[in-house]
Amino acid sequence: MKVIIADDSRVMRQIVLRTLRQAGFGHHDFVEATDGADALDKVATESPDLVLSDWNMPNKTGIELLRDLRGSGNAVPFGFVTSEGSEEMREAAQAAGALFLIAKPFTPEHFESALVGMLG
Amino acid sequence: MTLYSAPDQALLHAAVEQVWGSMLFEAADPWPANVPADFETGLQAHIEIRGGWNGLLLLTCNSDVATQIAGALLGLGPDETVDELDVHDAVGEVLNVVGGSVKGAIAGAMTLGLPGVRPSASPPSSEESLVVSWRGSPVHVQIIPDADRPEGL
Repeated sequence: MKVIIADDSRVMRQIVLRTLRQAGFGHHDFVEATDGADALDKVATESPDLVLSDWNMPNKTGIELLRDLRGSGNAVPFGFVTSEGSEEMREAAQAAGALFLIAKPFTPEHFESALVGMLG
Repeated sequence: MTLYSAPDQALLHAAVEQVWGSMLFEAADPWPANVPADFETGLQAHIEIRGGWNGLLLLTCNSDVATQIAGALLGLGPDETVDELDVHDAVGEVLNVVGGSVKGAIAGAMTLGLPGVRPSASPPSSEESLVVSWRGSPVHVQIIPDADRPEGL
């Protein structure tokens, strides 16, 4: 399966990748996006099976990305990986169509729990 | 969960401890009060919180510490090099995660800005900071309300 990882921090994208491998998902294809606008372009060109996105990014935030996707009829499974894990944020994420929100700092178990059944 | 009207050092230390422990795999021990926490050139990350409380969080450390933090986040070995962009990115991201935790504990609708990183000529005074240890070196973390905001930030 193909997964887009969207975060303006290259370091955080590497941490997400490493944690996904530790959670047993390393055999999938991963595409990195540097912000919400880049992720929107890559969803169109890569047709991913899942988008993992930071919330706060320049050019287009993660929530704006999700709303753009859903607004255009794109139902790609979407989850947030973000430093902000408040109840308010989780409700906003769910309302916009996200399947989950993983708060930083995270563990492999957080990814395992969120993605089991979605990524083999 | 108890919500704060404004962040304080206890909240800040708890957030730093969480990040040190789970992202950097180190303890955020308080810097000994009788040991100078000075250094010369280094990096300073800043991140803005707005809403129920308005201000900045700052993280200041020397260049070696910044490089080590980046290496730890990237899982690099002691002989592997880290480029400067990644060092800035890493320090900013550490403060981003601290900021997210602090923001989540403050009452009121809040937004968290994007982290910025700039060179630092000297650390803040220990009286103005939470100072924690990173592998024998000091890291200063500060809460700066808007009223006390330094020029240029």
